[in-house]
Amino acid sequence: MKKFFVWAVLVLFLFVSGPALAQTGKPSGEPIKIGGSLGLTGVFAEQSKWIKGGYDAWVEEINQKGGLLGRPVKLIMYEDEGNTDKAVTFFERAITVDKVDLVFGGYPGTINVAIMPLCEKYGMVYISMGGHMKSFQQGYTYSFGSPPLMADWADIAMLGIVEDLIPKKDWPKSMALLTMNNVIGESTRRGLHGVAQKLGIKIVVDELYNLPLSDATPLVSKARAQRADIMCCLSSFDDDVMLTRAAKGMNYNPKLAFHSIAPAQPAWMKELGEDGNNAITFHWWNARLKYPGNDAINQAAKRMYNLPAAPTYFGFGYCWLKTLEVAVKGTGSLDNKKIRDYLRSRSFDFPYGMGVKFDEKGLPPPYAIVTQTTNGHNEILWPKDQATAKLAYPKPKWSTK
Amino acid sequence: MRDSILELSTEAPRPRVNTSRAGLIAVICLILLASLPLFRPPLFFLSLLISIFLFVSLTESWNLMGGYAGYISLGHVVFFSIGAYTTAVGMNVFGASPFLTAVPGGIIAGAVAAIVGYPVLRLKGAYFSISSLLMAVIFQLVFLNWTFVGGSTGLWYKLMPVSIGANRAIFYEVMLGIALLTTLVVRHVERSKFGAGLITLREDEDVARTIGINTAWLKLKAFILGSFFAGLAGGIYGYYLSFIQPDITFNINTSLLILMMAFFGGCMTWTGPLLGAVLLSLTNQLIVTFIGAEISRILYGLILILLMIFMPNGIVEFLRARRSPR
Amino acid sequence: MELTFLAESVISGVLLGGIYALLSVGFGLTWGTMQVLNISHAVFAVLGAYVAYWCFVKGGVDPLLSVPFLAFLLFLLGGAVYRVVIRPVTKARDTVMGSMVVSFGLAIVVENIMSGLWHPDPRILKPSYTDTSLFIGEMVIGKGPLIGFAMAIVAIALLYAFLHHTFTGKAVQATWQNPTGAVLVGINRDRVSLITFGLSIASAGVAGVAMALIYSFYPSVHNDWTLYVFLLTIVGGVGSIIGTALTGLLIGLIMGVCAAFLPFIWVNILLFALLLVILLFKPEGIFGL
Repeated sequence: MKKFFVWAVLVLFLFVSGPALAQTGKPSGEPIKIGGSLGLTGVFAEQSKWIKGGYDAWVEEINQKGGLLGRPVKLIMYEDEGNTDKAVTFFERAITVDKVDLVFGGYPGTINVAIMPLCEKYGMVYISMGGHMKSFQQGYTYSFGSPPLMADWADIAMLGIVEDLIPKKDWPKSMALLTMNNVIGESTRRGLHGVAQKLGIKIVVDELYNLPLSDATPLVSKARAQRADIMCCLSSFDDDVMLTRAAKGMNYNPKLAFHSIAPAQPAWMKELGEDGNNAITFHWWNARLKYPGNDAINQAAKRMYNLPAAPTYFGFGYCWLKTLEVAVKGTGSLDNKKIRDYLRSRSFDFPYGMGVKFDEKGLPPPYAIVTQTTNGHNEILWPKDQATAKLAYPKPKWSTK
Repeated sequence: MRDSILELSTEAPRPRVNTSRAGLIAVICLILLASLPLFRPPLFFLSLLISIFLFVSLTESWNLMGGYAGYISLGHVVFFSIGAYTTAVGMNVFGASPFLTAVPGGIIAGAVAAIVGYPVLRLKGAYFSISSLLMAVIFQLVFLNWTFVGGSTGLWYKLMPVSIGANRAIFYEVMLGIALLTTLVVRHVERSKFGAGLITLREDEDVARTIGINTAWLKLKAFILGSFFAGLAGGIYGYYLSFIQPDITFNINTSLLILMMAFFGGCMTWTGPLLGAVLLSLTNQLIVTFIGAEISRILYGLILILLMIFMPNGIVEFLRARRSPR
Repeated sequence: MELTFLAESVISGVLLGGIYALLSVGFGLTWGTMQVLNISHAVFAVLGAYVAYWCFVKGGVDPLLSVPFLAFLLFLLGGAVYRVVIRPVTKARDTVMGSMVVSFGLAIVVENIMSGLWHPDPRILKPSYTDTSLFIGEMVIGKGPLIGFAMAIVAIALLYAFLHHTFTGKAVQATWQNPTGAVLVGINRDRVSLITFGLSIASAGVAGVAMALIYSFYPSVHNDWTLYVFLLTIVGGVGSIIGTALTGLLIGLIMGVCAAFLPFIWVNILLFALLLVILLFKPEGIFGL
């Protein structure tokens, strides 16, 4: 029994120190290594899959064009199962064992929140969607959201829709807020409260619910009873689907169906079909933006998945690595400190926006891209100069087939 | 006295161990582990071991109730979380270092255990387990909706103003210390009258009560003690992660994992949870690192299934059965 | 108006509760009969949902029609799982714990096979009747939940009838009430266990289809469903089909009433707190034996 123990501890010790000893004296190798982890299994698998696709697309493109600083790029990606504890360990593995030159962004927000301080300590630039506003307010200098996922900017979206796209005489008068109890939901709700006050819209229903949602009926029923002009589903995919189907089921036709980010997922239109149309949502990158670089993204998505337009998180992943690329090329080096300073020193044209200048938090100036789901596409409604479709207001009634 | 109580149990008599030699080997192993940071390995290995030390602490402390008393708790993460939230709030509100507030965190966890345990421990078997699960779910919902502890946003810890190498080394030694302390305490309990009482309770609670063992008090004591160590570990581990949030700390998968580790290793002795935690963590790490994605998870699941089929009573029992002369 | 809202909320909750009940009965069955705690129960529900989904999307077969087929398929699968994975564990000293570990591994394996084959994208089962409702005065009752509830009643009734009115079913009950006695009267415990486990998995599959009529699903969603499975089984009393079914209705009632009178955010907390209180006062479960 005790012998077993001795062997166990010795094996453990060797396992731990062996590779450590073996690492010394190994040559640094030609390819530029970009490392980190994503959760391709577990509850965040779907989005992680798209992000990985975006990363792969960028790697393929850059290697075809002669590499980064003349060297090929290699991704070292570990599987964290969406688990914060594992993500922290794997990012450290990438940084301290694989000795990667650069680090890529993880997913989702809660993991990013833990990785941002980690990269701060290791002095590695971390470009990701971030972990919402508070994570960018911790004084980290190495973190950037390029683009970020910033539900706190939801007010920009709603203001844009109402003020720019709807004639004043037709402005909606009432709003029903159905909000999931998490950071995204809370931030969006706060923003919309501010907008409602500014535009004189009455909030007639204001319900928060814990995830996972078991029954959408009471929530939508309240909104319907109040005949709210705007139905806001500040939800994740599952509950947004439930709320939307319930609205159809009880023949509730709001003038505007405003959603959080769920309808931007490809599964929304694919699975809901016609019922998923005319969902107004907002995001921070869209395949139809006319900014430079989006053609490459869409072509890659078509090649890899045979999709007409790149999914949101695919574009996100590509943009995050693109940002790294721009800074590496700009500084001509892989020195993370130089890259960080470069990113903070000037403005850039990215596939998600022109003239982007990062503030002291590492965020671009507040913005949002408002879209409307239409027959399989996320058409852009706002900003107006990027619009690819017109807002269907009031929302067409549910089809009864 | 102790021997006669043990005779009531159906376990095979423990083979005599040369305690001084075993002790010497254990000390050498410990010295090796503690001195690891001096070898300056890639910091990843320190982080990996920190995670393993956490699970050792959690599984050992869980085993007081789960293994010895036979009360399978699915709510151990609650006390882990209470410890973490105590240190986080301590830092945010009072500016106190978690190294100072971790012990109070454990004490608060123990206090909550006392309050919750009093009614819940009257239940038996599956009813106790599901109540502990309900308790965990309720606590998670409460923390998600409680703005003082950050609600769904969570709480941040300020980073230590030291280099990352020192940071990792410090957490490594502290977590090693906690894991060691927890294991030693559990081992001490196992060999004490307290532990014998718990084991008797597991075998047959009614009989235990008849021979004069205060079962209610024993159960509560074990519950509080286990929760204290979970809270202590949580207080430090939260600091290590620099961020806590209800979905991270109250994750039910952690509870299930603790269960797996304890039972896999063998929950009847203090060596079982230690072995289970180390082996399962390492196995998972190895597979996922070198294989990745769905296949690694399938392999991990298959290993659990196969090992359980071949060693239905846990590793420690399996090895012991092979060694003891029959 | 308030009354109609209350009625609507309660009916909606109760319909869902019935579906959760179907999801849970099989779990209680294996626990009560064989001391097997099958944590992977909900994973097979998801599998059932996928089978119905593919039949509908690729073959145009309405989910209700594919239910008998997938029930049979999952019955066979359950039997196979029993032989290969579960039976060896029943020989352990602590079957409950052993079966927990083994089914934990099984859940991981099945989930990830599904994820590898069909990807983690969320799916929705959308036959035309699911997004329509019955309008009774001011009240709205979704047809999806209604049909799911009907499925649940039929399936639970069939299961109950099997257990109480067929010879095999009574053999199952006998084994569970008195294992030694059952063997003494010549009941083949192994065969009984095989059938029980197969039935359990089959019921899970059917429940999965009912769940899919209302909720979107993907390989890892079984984690959310498992909590309710545990809850209903234990609060209802392990092994009592009627108990589990009634607990499902009770949970639906509680949810409905809470949703009507309180901010929705309180519904979950109150539900779990109430269940905890019930357990503290009646530890064997509401209808426990």
